[in-house]
Amino acid sequence: MTENVYLPKLARIASIKDEVVGARAIKTFQVEFPDGDMFEHECGQCAMISVFGKGEMMISIASSPLVKDYKQFSIMRVGKVTTAIHAMKVGDVIGVRGPYGNKFPVNDWKGKNLVFIGGGCGLAPIWPIIQTAVAQRSDFANITVFYGGRSSRDIMYRAELEKLRGVADVHLSVDQAEEGWEGYCGFVPANVMSTGVAPDNAIAITCGPPIMIKYVIQNLKGLGFADEQIYTTIENKMKCGIGKCGRCNVGKDYVCVSGPVYSWAQLKDLPQEY
Amino acid sequence: MVDIVNIRAHAKDLLEKGTVKMVLGYQRGTAGVLAEPAFITDAGQADHLVWDPTCVQNLALYLVNEKKAQSHQRDPDTRPIAIIAKGCDSRAVAVLLQERHFERKDVHVIGVSCGTLGVVDKNKLSKALNGRVATKVEPHGTDSFKVTTAEGFVDVAAADVLADRCLECACAYPAMHDVVFGEKHEDRGYPARFTALGQLEAKSEDERWAYWEGHFNRCLRCYACRSVCPMCYCPECVVDSIELMVDPTTSADEKANRIKWIERSAVASENSMYHLVRAIHLAGRCIDCAECERVCPVDIPIRMLNNKLEKEAKDMFGYEPGLDPELPSLVASFRDDDPNSFIR
Amino acid sequence: MSSILKKTDLGAWAAALEAEVFAPALADGVWAYQPVAPGANDGGVALTHPNTARPPKNFAFPQREVLYTFEQLKGQAPKLTETLPNPAPVVVMGVRPCDGRGAPRNDMVFTGAFDDPYYQSRRAKTAYVGLACNTPPSPNCFCKAVGGSPSSKEGLDVQLTDLGDRYHVVAVTPRGEELIEAGGKLFAEAGAADEKESQRLHSEAAKCEQRTFGDLAAAAPALKKNFDSEMWQSLAKACIGCGICTFLCPTCHCFDISDEVTGQSPMRGERVRTWDNCQFPDFTMHSSGHNPRETLGARLRQRVNHKFLYFVENNGTQQCTGCGRCISFCPVGIDIVAVLDRMIQA
Repeated sequence: MTENVYLPKLARIASIKDEVVGARAIKTFQVEFPDGDMFEHECGQCAMISVFGKGEMMISIASSPLVKDYKQFSIMRVGKVTTAIHAMKVGDVIGVRGPYGNKFPVNDWKGKNLVFIGGGCGLAPIWPIIQTAVAQRSDFANITVFYGGRSSRDIMYRAELEKLRGVADVHLSVDQAEEGWEGYCGFVPANVMSTGVAPDNAIAITCGPPIMIKYVIQNLKGLGFADEQIYTTIENKMKCGIGKCGRCNVGKDYVCVSGPVYSWAQLKDLPQEY
Repeated sequence: MVDIVNIRAHAKDLLEKGTVKMVLGYQRGTAGVLAEPAFITDAGQADHLVWDPTCVQNLALYLVNEKKAQSHQRDPDTRPIAIIAKGCDSRAVAVLLQERHFERKDVHVIGVSCGTLGVVDKNKLSKALNGRVATKVEPHGTDSFKVTTAEGFVDVAAADVLADRCLECACAYPAMHDVVFGEKHEDRGYPARFTALGQLEAKSEDERWAYWEGHFNRCLRCYACRSVCPMCYCPECVVDSIELMVDPTTSADEKANRIKWIERSAVASENSMYHLVRAIHLAGRCIDCAECERVCPVDIPIRMLNNKLEKEAKDMFGYEPGLDPELPSLVASFRDDDPNSFIR
Repeated sequence: MSSILKKTDLGAWAAALEAEVFAPALADGVWAYQPVAPGANDGGVALTHPNTARPPKNFAFPQREVLYTFEQLKGQAPKLTETLPNPAPVVVMGVRPCDGRGAPRNDMVFTGAFDDPYYQSRRAKTAYVGLACNTPPSPNCFCKAVGGSPSSKEGLDVQLTDLGDRYHVVAVTPRGEELIEAGGKLFAEAGAADEKESQRLHSEAAKCEQRTFGDLAAAAPALKKNFDSEMWQSLAKACIGCGICTFLCPTCHCFDISDEVTGQSPMRGERVRTWDNCQFPDFTMHSSGHNPRETLGARLRQRVNHKFLYFVENNGTQQCTGCGRCISFCPVGIDIVAVLDRMIQA
């Protein structure tokens, strides 16, 4: 009998950072595995995280595959399991199984301009690509990052984003004008439009609330991006992570296996059941 | 005798005049001999309506569903819905009115009397036909059915194939209606109310425990009994997963702190809890349409549970639900002659 | 080579098998697979059932499976204990051909890129002794419409054909051969006349009228074409959103995983897999409150499309074997054959 896919590995929370506080709090957890237990992953893949006694949840891996000593997860407090993990402390042990899902075809994008467009918690799934691209900076042409939050307090990875400015073109935004904010005020799709990005030799990767993704894609198409140049991720309720329990089934795809990464060319043919 | 032609004409008239937005009734189905629910909105389709002893469903359920759907509609059609209601179904409508689920003006009750008969029990029918497949069931006189099969006609005694609830029915004539088809029969000649329950009550406690444990063990927790019940209209049930009653404004704390009363596992303890909680919640509300028992795929005698509480309500408080839509409901009212001293 | 088993020897055969034997019996008015009592005269085995109310899928995929247990003292790391089943061999007798065909379809789900060790350890120990249908056991049978037949051997280890006072017995798999071998002298070699009679019954059965929706190959394209059709809402109008159609289906396999806490300090409990159902409103509900399949119509479409479109695209065969249970047991007459017919005609 092969390995038991349902049995998680135990991982220790090595650090916890408050990204956003308040009603829609986001915390970043870095977790370490005992020697030899850590798995390899690719950009875009996810893992099932267990808080024993509460349940399991699918969370995207927010660290670059190049990072070999921990896995990072940035988790918004939404329900039962996320609330439980938000209450945990450094040193507490969770369960992790994975990696699950497909990946962003980053290797096919070498030499291209990369345009990242994120909103809210949606920076986490694309963060591994940004980190990888920055680490292998010479492999890629221009790197542009658009990211916005409801307010400046809702901007995650703030310090890391500021650090990117030397190597990437970073455009931060907040939904509504506020005192002391010098960046763009307005929604992310509008920021993309007003800045204007050229589709030539470019790939756009967008992740965030569904309504943001919808308008980002509309605007990218308006700027001349082809369906094949636009990538995003989708999510659905998941229980098994291995294409069996049926919850994340959309059309012939199980998002946990065939997703979460889709080009718009692929996604527009999928029923809108996500 | 109820002539379907008259019901169709009435339905057609209502729809043509636009006084109702829909007629809830029965039509022939493809799945078997039983009729299926019909949702007639076009006067031209009124001829699809049927009325015979295979019209088993209690359509009051759809009044509830329609009301729920309306609450999500921006500009809902608020005209009344007409419902074809047997005696038991009419009592369900009355309970829903007692509980202010909708108002009297929202519903037009087309009562139909079951006369001396009632509806068939599919399993009893199949047993009586000894493997032959019924394609049509019609009333035949006052105490039998004419059943059509591929091999011809069979006359079957009503007492052999009537649903258990019909055999003990005390409300074969609609309790409330705007229009009624069929006559009232005072003496139907079947066993008295609670006869089957009495037999179960006569058993010892150990025997009853074994009886229910055996039945609850088989439960699949498909929730068909709950889903088919017009009184099980709670937006959230104790057995639902914590995700059900969530909307974008529900806070993480609310979701995280929600109590899981009953585990998902279909094991005796959890199943018993489910059925007992449901029975208690139906005390003084259940009108014995016995849809819960009819739909159970593993034949759990759910009706007996509800019957027991129905009898308690009658014995202790002289209360019978669904006979008068104006009357306050049992659990929402207090009387000075309440038999319990603690409450006085 | 095939054999003959006298009906009166069925119980003796069951007793001779080194396995837990299950056969359909009428219990509380319901045909269900019941353990065959060892030592009883005929073993209580008489394959006189139409079909069981519940399919035999639970032998490999029980409604409740404990995946592992956990235990945690406050401030310490949790301890997990794997609970992989190691069941005794099981022989299920009297499996109808439609239910037999359910097994390989479930195998497709629980194997592949990720093997499911719980399903597989039970499946490896389960053998199906099938019973060919001489006449359709239900008026809602439609095995022929979905590529099966009343004498299909697919998914079975042994096939029995009822010849009146005896069964014509064919081993379908090596495991089936072992089972027949275990019966020893109870089995006689079948003569040419028996084989001929068996074949005649199979071809007679194939001529029996069944329900149908026409061309099977037309189903997938029709469903694809009609994804956005308003017919789904009207077809599902009467649906009460219960779990009968899926729980009684030989191939529906969706499940939930949840933690059942059984004690505090140390906190301990079980991670449990239970059957779930795409017709329940909370099945696809996100934690945010967003529900991708909010309406009854969308959920009916999911069940039909999964069986006749998505599974076909992924596995090259339908995930429906035509047992007719979802039709016969639906409280409000929703009829998958009629649904497919409507979609194909549209």
